Amino acid sequence: MDLLSGVPWVLVVSNIDLTTNVPIVSPSTFLGLSIKDFIVNINNDYRYLKIGYYVSLHAETLGNPVIPASGNMIDANRTPVFLLRSSKAGIPTMPYIVTGSVKQIISEVGFPVVIFAVNPFIYDGFKIARNRSSLYRAMKSLSMNYKFAVCAIPLRGEMFSFKSIFGKCELEGDFEEVSEMVYKVFKIPICKLHVQRVDGKVHLCSLQPVKREELTPSDLRLVSEEIFLMSRHGDPVIV
Amino acid sequence: MTQLLSKIACFVERYNFTDPREENALQNFRFTAEKLGHEFSFMFKEKISDIPVYDAVFIRATTDPLYTAYIVSKTAWELGLRVVDDPESIKICGNKVHLYTLFRKYGVPHIPTIFLTKDELHHKRLVEIFKEYGKPVVLKAPYTSFSRYVEKVACETSFREIAKRFFRKSDVLVVQKFMPTAFDWRVGVLNGEVLYVCKYMIPKGRWKHGVKLRGKPTFIWGRTVAMKRENAPAKLKEVALKACSIIGNGLYGVDIKEFGGEYVVVEVNDNPSIYAGYEDLRNKDVYEKIIKFLVN
Repeated sequence: MDLLSGVPWVLVVSNIDLTTNVPIVSPSTFLGLSIKDFIVNINNDYRYLKIGYYVSLHAETLGNPVIPASGNMIDANRTPVFLLRSSKAGIPTMPYIVTGSVKQIISEVGFPVVIFAVNPFIYDGFKIARNRSSLYRAMKSLSMNYKFAVCAIPLRGEMFSFKSIFGKCELEGDFEEVSEMVYKVFKIPICKLHVQRVDGKVHLCSLQPVKREELTPSDLRLVSEEIFLMSRHGDPVIV
Repeated sequence: MTQLLSKIACFVERYNFTDPREENALQNFRFTAEKLGHEFSFMFKEKISDIPVYDAVFIRATTDPLYTAYIVSKTAWELGLRVVDDPESIKICGNKVHLYTLFRKYGVPHIPTIFLTKDELHHKRLVEIFKEYGKPVVLKAPYTSFSRYVEKVACETSFREIAKRFFRKSDVLVVQKFMPTAFDWRVGVLNGEVLYVCKYMIPKGRWKHGVKLRGKPTFIWGRTVAMKRENAPAKLKEVALKACSIIGNGLYGVDIKEFGGEYVVVEVNDNPSIYAGYEDLRNKDVYEKIIKFLVN
């Protein structure tokens, strides 16, 4: 929490009901405020154009330090950029290509292949294609009838998807390490990670938002604990 | 023997070649780059993985943080290439809420603007808005481009209808005072200098430069009247440069309204249109200046 050193006040902006004594403000209330604080933006959905994005943007315009930064939200939700930046930060990632061509995927990636959408409308999940016809189906759907490119990743092991809360996850070992590293780079408090385990080693594939109903009471407790630790790091939390 | 200086990739999509005026401009870019000793290749989305082999990337496909063009821009930028439009400019210009927030912060004269969240879409707030700005007002989605997703609304019913449509994609919208003019100034800016100036005329009986005809898929556009940048009003150029200075040093198209003797910025666009015989008509060095900026 380097950002917290020397910051006296922490303000939590959240769209989630947290089981904590720490006072919070809703995103729409925060957008009308001009408070100078360290902002912890808690949201289940940090996608571009969504309210969580505008919270961080507003904080940045006010000159406040904020978690997560609006630029990181955009990059984390664009799979090729997410993988490029993760790779530069030393996180093990799968190789990928961005293309709108089925032929290119077949010749350069082969089968089986994992397809992620790279368009403004589809943001969750992925499709695995094991042959030409399933690849055409996946492409047609995720490229929105070939209008947009897709991100193709070879499937060399087993896919895993798990929630990451402030870099912590329920899986251990390499999974936990990757989760922590992703948090260190992008500082996205709540997200879901898609990874691939190849020969026992975990490789990052993609990040997506968590649906509100996917957050369990224990997830919310973890969020509250992290916020409590942050608020203790500086002085008392104010609203 | 001519030495090849730089390899420039121009990221385009198929639609960039459907209008002959834009296609001719793209060929002008290629011709100019090659005349200056550079290699200039059109790069489509199938070839994004080739970015590392180039020295610079020039994006002509429509930019938006959610489009492929952003992936291209950010990839090139992360790899240390010179890129127009750079990812920060796309991030700011691609979201009008972000843009107007910066205008407000840095005192750039702009059309009176407020932001509206989903929670504020109720009778009391709409009454306040109409009271403050009068009727009609302009409702704008933050991701607007090419005059799309900008609507004039004069009553609460149509306000709600349009707002609900725009709220499907963005949780915050822009509401602006309606300021009708016969034309909008368009000032092209590159690296903090004025590149070209023209007037985008508003079609007769309409209120914006590009208008979709009811029941038809095509847009009609007003005339473009170009002028030499030296002949444009100094105050106009000053306002345009100030607006761009808060965004970056890239290539921008600034839309400005002249109202009551004052210049107010409508918006700053990254990835501005450059059509052969239009924006370049009185400033033929547009192509050379952009290519030189890319390889500098």
